[in-house]
This record gives sequence, C-alpha cells and structure tokens, in this order.
Amino acid sequence: MRRYTVRRLLLSVGVVVAAMLIGAGCSDDDDGGDSGEPITIGVSLPLTGEFSQPGKAAKQGYEVWRDTVNEEGGLLERQVELEIRDDASDQNTVVSDYNALIQREDVDLLLGTFSSLLNLPASAAAERNQMLYVEPAGGAPEIFERDFQFGPFFTQQATAEKQGDLFVDWLLNLPEDEQPKTAAYPVLDDPFALPVIEAMRKKLEDAGIETVYDEIYPVSTSNFDSIADSVKSENPDLVANGAQFDDGIGFRRSLSKVGFEPKMLFQTNAPSFGSQYSDGVGVKNTEGTFFAISHTPDATTPGNEEFVQRFEDEFGEPPAEDAADAYASGQVLQAAVEEVGSIDDQLALADWLRDNTVETILGPLEWEDTGAPIGEFLIGQWQNGKAEIVLPEDAATTDEIITVRPAAE
Amino acid sequence: MSAVLDRLGSPSLWRGVVAVAAVALIAYPVLYDDLFYQNMIILSLVFAIGAVGLNVIMGYGGYISLGQSAFIGLGAYTVGIATTKIGGDPFVWVPAAGVVAALFAALLGLIAMRTRGFAFVIITIAALFILQIVAINWDSLTNGTSGITPPLPRWDLDYQNWPFYYSLVVLLAASLALSWWIRRTKIGTGLLAIREDEDKAATIGIDTPVYKIIGFVASAVFLGMAGGIYGYYLAFIDPQGMFDIVISVQIILAVILGGRGTLWGPVLGAFLIESVNEYSNQELGGGNSRLLIFGGLLVLTILLLPKGIIPSVRDALERRARRGKAALVGARLADRRPLNGKPRVAPAQPPRTLLEVKGLEKSFQGVRAVAGGSFEVEEGTITGLIGPNGSGKTTVFNLIGGTMKPDAGEVWFDGRRIDRLSPWRRAYAGIGRTFQITRVFGGMTVLENVVAPLRSFSLAQLRAGAVSGEESARAERLLEFVGMAEYGDQPAQALSFGQRKLVELAQLMMLGPKLILLDEPAGGINPTLVARMADVIRELNEQGQTFLIVEHNMPLVLGLCDPILVLARGECICTGAPAEIQRDPRVLDAYLGEDFKLEEPVAAP
Amino acid sequence: MAAGASRGHHDSGSRHHKRMTEFIQQTAFGLLIGGVYALFASGLTLIFGVMKVINIAHGALLILGAFLTFTLWEQLGIDPLAAILITTPAMFALGWVLYMTMVRPLRSAPLSSTVLLTFGLALVLEAVMGLVWGNNSRSARPSYFDQSFDVAGIVLPKAQVFAFAIAILVLTLLFLFLARTWTGRAIRAASANTQGAALVGVDIARVSVLTFAVGVATVGAAGSMVSVLYPFLPGSHYIWIARVLSIIVLGGLGSLQGAAIGAVLLGLAEVYTQTYVSTEWATAVPYVLIFVVLFFRPQGLMGTRLREDVAV
Repeated sequence: MRRYTVRRLLLSVGVVVAAMLIGAGCSDDDDGGDSGEPITIGVSLPLTGEFSQPGKAAKQGYEVWRDTVNEEGGLLERQVELEIRDDASDQNTVVSDYNALIQREDVDLLLGTFSSLLNLPASAAAERNQMLYVEPAGGAPEIFERDFQFGPFFTQQATAEKQGDLFVDWLLNLPEDEQPKTAAYPVLDDPFALPVIEAMRKKLEDAGIETVYDEIYPVSTSNFDSIADSVKSENPDLVANGAQFDDGIGFRRSLSKVGFEPKMLFQTNAPSFGSQYSDGVGVKNTEGTFFAISHTPDATTPGNEEFVQRFEDEFGEPPAEDAADAYASGQVLQAAVEEVGSIDDQLALADWLRDNTVETILGPLEWEDTGAPIGEFLIGQWQNGKAEIVLPEDAATTDEIITVRPAAE
Repeated sequence: MSAVLDRLGSPSLWRGVVAVAAVALIAYPVLYDDLFYQNMIILSLVFAIGAVGLNVIMGYGGYISLGQSAFIGLGAYTVGIATTKIGGDPFVWVPAAGVVAALFAALLGLIAMRTRGFAFVIITIAALFILQIVAINWDSLTNGTSGITPPLPRWDLDYQNWPFYYSLVVLLAASLALSWWIRRTKIGTGLLAIREDEDKAATIGIDTPVYKIIGFVASAVFLGMAGGIYGYYLAFIDPQGMFDIVISVQIILAVILGGRGTLWGPVLGAFLIESVNEYSNQELGGGNSRLLIFGGLLVLTILLLPKGIIPSVRDALERRARRGKAALVGARLADRRPLNGKPRVAPAQPPRTLLEVKGLEKSFQGVRAVAGGSFEVEEGTITGLIGPNGSGKTTVFNLIGGTMKPDAGEVWFDGRRIDRLSPWRRAYAGIGRTFQITRVFGGMTVLENVVAPLRSFSLAQLRAGAVSGEESARAERLLEFVGMAEYGDQPAQALSFGQRKLVELAQLMMLGPKLILLDEPAGGINPTLVARMADVIRELNEQGQTFLIVEHNMPLVLGLCDPILVLARGECICTGAPAEIQRDPRVLDAYLGEDFKLEEPVAAP
Repeated sequence: MAAGASRGHHDSGSRHHKRMTEFIQQTAFGLLIGGVYALFASGLTLIFGVMKVINIAHGALLILGAFLTFTLWEQLGIDPLAAILITTPAMFALGWVLYMTMVRPLRSAPLSSTVLLTFGLALVLEAVMGLVWGNNSRSARPSYFDQSFDVAGIVLPKAQVFAFAIAILVLTLLFLFLARTWTGRAIRAASANTQGAALVGVDIARVSVLTFAVGVATVGAAGSMVSVLYPFLPGSHYIWIARVLSIIVLGGLGSLQGAAIGAVLLGLAEVYTQTYVSTEWATAVPYVLIFVVLFFRPQGLMGTRLREDVAV
C-alpha cells in the first residue's frame, strides 16, 4: 500500500512539473510595441486620502499635457496614453502600483506621484526596475541623497530646503525696525515641510532672530488649540508654520480661536491652494500670509498662456500649482525622449536630463547629477483676498509687500 | 461522486497535495520570469510566515495578538538601520532581525504576562502603535517619516527576486517545522491547555507565564527575519508601512480563514488573503475598497465560517465518514486494567504529616468562607473532608491547590510552606486536585489531556513527544488503568461527565503526585462508576497514594475514608474515624440541625 | 527639535504669572475636551458592562456620527450641536440593527470573536465613509467656530464650551436614566450579574439590544461634537479607539464613574504632554497609559479587573 501511494505521489509531482515547463515555454514573450503603437506612461497618484486634493490637480495637469502632446503629433510620432492608478496616499500602495505598472502593464515610461512622502518609495521602486523617474512634487532633500542612476528628477525650481530662500533674503534686508525679533516654528512631521522650515530657521537664527518656539507636531494632530496657545504665549513677531494642507488650515484657525495675530505669518503649502485655502480659513484671515509657490497662471514663461487657457477650457477654473507642476513634468519627460530619440535606454534619458536645461511653464529647469533642481522658488502673499506673487521682483504680480499684517495692529 | 468524497478524507492524498504545491512553489521563479506573480508570492510568503507564527500563540495558545506586524517592522528596521549605518549586505543582518523581534516578544510577554483576554489584545495594539510613534519620532535612528532606503539590489533584473523568494521559502519551511515540532511536544499540549482552560492548566504543572512567552517568541522570531527581508525587498522602510495595523489584521484573518490550530491552514489563508489584497489593489483601486473587502471578510468569516476552511472541510468529511455509526463515547464502559506497578515506598512509621493547614482564612467581600480552618493529613491515608454546603470545602481545596491565595494562615506540604507558591509549583511539589465540576481540555484528545501535565519544569519534559514516546506511553498506561484506553483519540468534550472524571484522575496521576485532592469524585455519576472510582482510589492507596476527598456521598465516605474531617461554617469542627463521626452530635447538628436524629448508624457498602 | 526656548526679557514675577496663566489655560483645554471624551467612553463602558463586549468599532461610529452631522450642517444648514437631536436617534437605530445582525449571533462565542468582528466592522465603516464622503478632512464650521469666551485672560473657545455643556447634560441624563427608571435599573442589574438578573425576571435579550443601542446613541451625540471641534476623516477612528481603550483601562472596565474620571485625566494628560513635554509625543499618551495601567493596576481606578477571575 505504501509503495503504491509513493509512486502515485511521484507521478503527480512529475505531471505538475511537466505542465509548468510546458506552460513556461508557451508563455508570451511580449516585447515592447512597435512604432505606431501608443506609448504608455504609468502614473500613480493620491486620488484619495491625505493628499487627494493636490493628487487630483496633478492628474488634471498630466491629462492636459497628454492632450497637448497628442494634438501636436504625439511623442516620437506615437500617441501617448496615461495609465493612472490611485495610491490612496499610502506608501505601500504606491510601491505596489508602480511595480504593477512596470511588471504587469509593461508601461514604456513613468511619471511621478505627489508629495515627498510618496515619491520617496516610488522612486526607489522605479530605480529597482531601472526606469527613469520624473516627478512633479517631491522636494525633500532626502530624495536626492541616495545615489540613484535613473533619477529622480524633480520638476520644480528648487528642493525643499531652498524654497524659503527668497523670503528669508527679503526679510533680512528689511530695515532694522521692521525686522522681526522673535520667531516661532511649529512644523508638521513631514519629509517636505521639515526641511523648508529647518533651513529658514537656521538662516534666521544666524542672523540674530531669536527662536522662541520650535516644535514638531505629528500627522495625526487634530487639535491645534493648545499648540496655538503655546505659540501665543511666546508672542513671536514671526510665525513660520511648516504644513501640508489640512494641518495648515487647522493651525491657522486655532490662531484665530486663541486670539493671536502675529506680525508676520509664513505657511508652506496650504496658502498656495487658492480658494480652498481662503474658504478654509476665512478670507479676512488670509491677509498678509506668505507662502512659497512654483507657478502662477499669470507668468509669461513659454507655453504657460496656452496651458492655462487649455486648462480653463477643460476644467472651468485656473490650474492649481500642482496641476502646473504635473504639466511641467510631462514637458521634461517629453524633452528628454525627443532629444534622445528613443525610449529604450532609460539611462540615456536620465543622463540627457543631467546635462541639459528644459524650458517649461515654470521657467527653465536644470538639475544636479542627483536630480535636484537648480533654481529659485517664487514667494507669494495673500493680499485683498487674492494670492499674489511678490518675489522675485521680475515675476511679481504686485509691487506691494505687506510687512506687518493689518490684523496684528 | 461519493467515492471521490471518500477519497478526500485520506491523509496521503493531502500529503500529496502539499508535496505538489511545495515543488511548484520552488520551481516557479525558475520557470516563469513574471515579476508580478513572483511579487505576489513573495508577499504571500511574508503573510504565511506571520500567520504560521501567530498560529502558535493564537491557534494553539488562544491568545490573540493584533500586534504581529510590529515584528515585521522591527525586523525591517533592524536590517535597514544596520545596513545603512554600519554597512554590510542586508541579508547578513537578517538573523539579527530575528533576534530583535524575539527579544521584543519576550519583553512584551513579560509585561503582558499578568493580562488575559481583552487586556492582552489591547496591549498588543498599544505596543504596535507605540513602536510606530517611536519610529516616527526617533529620527536620528530611523529617519522618521522620511524612512530608510536600503541599498538597492544591483543584480540582473531577471533573477532579481530570487534571493528574496528563496530565503522566504526557507523561512516558511523553518516556521512550519517549528510549529509542527511545538505541536507534537508537551509545549504544544501545554499551549492548548492554556487555550482551553488556563486556570486548570496551571494546576497540572503548566507554568503559564513562561509558556505564553515561549509561544509569543516562537510567533515572532521568523516573522522578524521575514520582515528584514521584506524591508529590503520593498526598498523602502517607513513607520506607516512597517507598523501597519491592517497588516496585523490580514495576518489574523489568514489564520482564522485557513483554520487556527491547524498546521497548513495559516499558509492557505495567507495565500488567499494576498490574492484578495492584490485583486483589490489592482482591480478595485486600493484604498477604501481594500479596507472594505478585508473588514467585510473578517466579519463574514467570524459569523459564517468561524472555524476556518481546513477544519470545516475536515469536520464535514469526518461527519460523512461517521454517518450511521455510533459514537465511540456512547459505548459501554470498558474494562480497566489494574495497576501492575511496584508498590510505593511504604509510609514511614509513625505516619508522618503530609499536609498541614494552619489557621486558613479566606473571605469573599464580607462572606467568610474559611475562618481559621486547621487540620492535618497523614501520608498514606484516604482522608475524607465532609461538611454541609457552604462550609468552605471547595475553597479550602482552592487554597491548598493554589488557585486562590489565603487572606491569612499557612499551608505546609511535605515539610515546606507552599501557600505562597503558584499552582504549578505546587504541582511540582506533588499536589494534584480534581474539580467539583470536572475540568478537562475539551478541544484536545483524551490522550493529549493525559499527556499535558508537567511533572517538573525541565527541558526534557518540554521536549517530550506528546503523541509518541515515553510520555505518551505512560499516559496510555494510565488510561488503561482507569479504563479509558479506547477513547484515546476522542476529543475530550465528547465524553460523558463520568468519563471525564476518570480522565481527570488519569491526568493527575501523570503528575506522580504525593497527595491527590478529589473534589466530589462521586458527584453526578451512576453507581457503577462510583464503584469504579472507589476501586481505583483503593488500589492507588494500597500502593501508598495519599488522598484528601471532599464528598457528600456518605456511604462512599464512610466506607472509603479514614480519618474523616468535618468542616462547618469555615472551620474544622472535628475529626476521627468513620464510626465516631457518624455519632458525633456536633456533626449531626452541623448537617441536619438539632431537630433531626439518626435512627441508626449508616452502614458502609 | 528643542522645546520652547527662553522667554525674552521679563522679570521673574511676570514670568511666573505667565506660566500660571498658561497652565490654567491648558488645564481648561484639557477639562473641556475631557467632557467630550467622557461622553464618548460612556457608551463603550455601558456595552461592556452588560455584554462583556469591547466594541472596537466605537471609534468608527463616532466618526460616522461626525460625518452625518457634517452633512446635515453642509446641506441643510443645521447647527452641528443642535444636530445631536437627529444623530442620537439615528445612531440608536443603527446600534439596534448592528446588534441584531452581528453581535447577538456571537453571544456565546469566545471574546476573540467579538473583538475581531468589531474590528472588521470598524474597517468596513471606515471604507464606507471613505467611499461616501471621500478621504479629505472635514470639519463643521458654524459661526461661533472661531470665537472664544475670554474669562479673566483665559481663552475658552465657544465650540468647546458648548460641547462640554451638552456632554455634561447628556451624561447626567444617562445617569438619571440608569438610576431612576426601571429599564435603567434592569440594565444595571444585567451588568452586575447577568444570570441573576435573568432569574429575577429581567428580559436579558431586550436589555442587551437596548444597551447596545443606547451605547451607540451616545456615540452619535459625541460624534456631533467632534464634527465641530476637530477636523476628521475616515481614518481618524484609530486615534479615537486608542483614546477610549485608554479611558476604560484607566477608569476600570464597567464603571461609568471611572470612565468619566479616566476621560478627564486623559484629556489633561494629552494637553500637558503636548505643552510641557513635546508635541511629538502627545499622540503616544493613550498607549503609554494603557501599558502603565495594565501593568501596575489592571483593575484601573475603580472597575472590575480585566483579569478573569478564578473559576471554581
């Protein structure tokens, strides 16, 4: 009886192995498409979750770019198709999304996702699969410190720690009596927000502006009242809040609740969201708030007017910053592919970007070998219920810069 | 059709299935270079390792941990931190990941030792989230929310997954081997006993805190290593992804769905769960649909298929096989074989005191159950302990056996003071007790029930095989002695009350105790069984076994016991030979009240 | 990062006064939020007392209440705190249904089953809320939202004060219900000794479903408050269940008074940690409390032990 069953066992194992061998032999060896076939570009974006607002804007930007390119004849004479997935603002999902896009969908090219938090793992997935990675919204310096070969290339003007530069320079050049003497730095624990404020703080401290509050709050913080009150009790002249969107709004409103109006207020991200920001905090509360931004619809950079027009035609409103950044990523990718002339050698595309400058709607973009951009960010300020660009002067949409917020007087 | 179903019950068929699956698993990456499915299998392997490990503490031990993903995170961070700060290939650090996870499990086990049920689950949740917060805040070590990127594998894309794949296969094999080994040794029976009835397990020598720590460590060590490999594989290690409670939930779901307590159930469950995971990520767009599916699956599994797939299938097949046949447990009581043992060392002359109770006091929120009880039990006697209901007899047993601690007073056994010892230490010292409402481990077989007790806490005892080897041979002899040998592989919960009593007694004898406390051995069973009980007790006593018996069955007590202690209102009111006790007015008063007088003495059977 | 540095050039008396003021201010914040926590935890305590079920979905139900209130406010303009009159009965009904479909079938199942089942339910609720309302954070913003009362230099945000007052009111009603009505007494009896209560004629089945529904209803009320006080999103339920577990562990399972005290203590602990230790570690407070209490004093401040008692 035992011999009988062992023989059967071996037989069945043998059958299965044979089946697998045959199956392996017969499996498709699908090579990339020939010319005439569309070029597929794989993208993962946070369409739900913490970053869903900018994620959706980025999707819109990519789509406008795709339509523009296709109308002009496509990329290398092939139509462009976007394969977009939702990573739900989750780092694990973004990795499995890009893996699936590369390994299962066999996409030809990649475009990046939104936020440093997500681009960190996504770029690693791309590097592991040896594909070029161009991303619109991940400026944390960490992203560029890993010695990758295939990117990642950040298509804004500067990495996080440089985004506040123009603001700091302007502040330090103010006359003595207008300069703030003390500063508070409440920051979200986020790979993007932290470096921006860190860099600002160092420069301001070196220049003699005293730090009276310096705390990191976790992502899950929902009650900002007691933080705002702690800030209030130090009575700083300047408050520089490193935030994303929700927490920026929450903190701003808590400042009102506890009845504190600093002379100068700088916030990352949140104030760049246009009407979403003013709806969230109340229009009268926006006055005088500074922020850093990469794009404005009024800029006269090449292609910008067409982009804004097309965007408004398609979506009925002017493009948010993140949509513009996404469009710029498309432009960068397009430039590399067209100049190199093929999509097969991803490393060649990456090397080309290292050695060249690309004209985009954000202005000229060029990169270090690490993929970190070399450039200057714009500084904006809310005035009269409108988000204006105030620095650098040649990009400014208004001549005036409010040095002391009216509410503080 | 029915022939096919009959075949399904054969174990060799299932062994064949497992062998084929194993071969397919090992051959897959060689034959197919589909990176996507390789990725799915890799993730399934990680889940499987987690599930097999969790099965040890949850399936065997009955302790639910919602914190298993903490070990994945600890493993991943160990490898990530070591390889970026110290250097070296990530694979080199994988064993260290296992050590870190095991240490943490031991530490958590020590803390959670005193907790049970809800409290344990809550502590595992809290531990997971605290680790996540530490990973976020201790950024000099972990890089906080920016995460750690281990060095990327630079070998050929075609073979890139092989090291991850095969190392995980090895880990899965190792964790299965560990789980299998635990299950067939007394560690396994001990864990099962803890699951079934933890307090009872303590009284048969199972050092419950240590067992739980062993189980917990066993659940962690391979998962920690798998976590290290997983982090390297993902190429990104961060607090949110590595200490994710949804992964813990998925691991639990894998165990429950596949079948907790089985060897292969967790593996089956893990592969199913990962397939569902991929499906919901790819087809349904991740995010909310993934949560909906897993939450829903968890709810439905618990409501509709709580035993899991493999046990349910097994039960269905068994029921089919047993159709039309009478259950073994309904058959007549089998004969017993008398003990042909060597006579024990005869008790010393003059007879020495084996157990001494001095001034015991125990109150329950104002009710004085035991009030200054003091008595002695001599070695080699069958001492009876009688008294009206509420006189505190069972409480006295609890105090002697260790399941309760006295408010005051002392208990001395064999020359040592034992009232401060844990129940298992008293078992090692030589005390065994039965319970008024018989407690056996329903989910274990009769043989496993008798093998479970631990005579001493030693490696030899723990490693001893539960279904074969010396220990189980000894257990079988004991079962023959009480006449339950034919029921060896029946689940204990199928036994009748009387049969359970016999099994409980056999359990005790496994301990080789010096003193056996019997709590109403004749309660609730038919006269034939009562007689058998009496025979067994007498035979053991002839070989030198000391008994202390609480009983209400007067004929039995008067015929079997000498001396007899009488307990009333929490204290011992008199002691003496059966004949004296029958006539003592204090006894009559305590039992029956003043109005009642016995016509004549009760005769012994 | 370092905590707040020196306070500039002030004399010591004024500095002391400032510190006192800040301490009182933060204490006020903690107490106000403690009231809402107490209302939130009361439902779970009630449910546990009678059914020995720890409802892990409690946090998700709270967020559901918040979303319902938000929609009522956004679409119909109903004041969120007034919406309690709508959300409470609605959640009562939901609680009834949940009990009948999911909890009742598991009456005799081991505790592991109910814990896992309610966890699964929490995930389902999170997913449904995400699908219906989206995963962006919301908060209801009635007119008084950004305003505060100023009492002797202490800022008391209006929303918090109103919420606190209503929480006290609802808790008082709950206490009266339990103490003075027949049903309430039946619930307390079932909580103390289920079998005994059944023997004296308490309809345990009816009391169970009622208790569960009342427990969920109180969460509905608390949810309405949360919609005004905090931005919330579907994933917020984790931090809330952490809070409620910490509260019942602190106060002792099964004791309403204990839960109330535990809630206030937690509120204060969170606020003090945020201010005096570091904002980073404030979210760890509920978990650390759980550890500490379960290790040193498993029965909490005044409740039944979480350790099961010795069997006969």
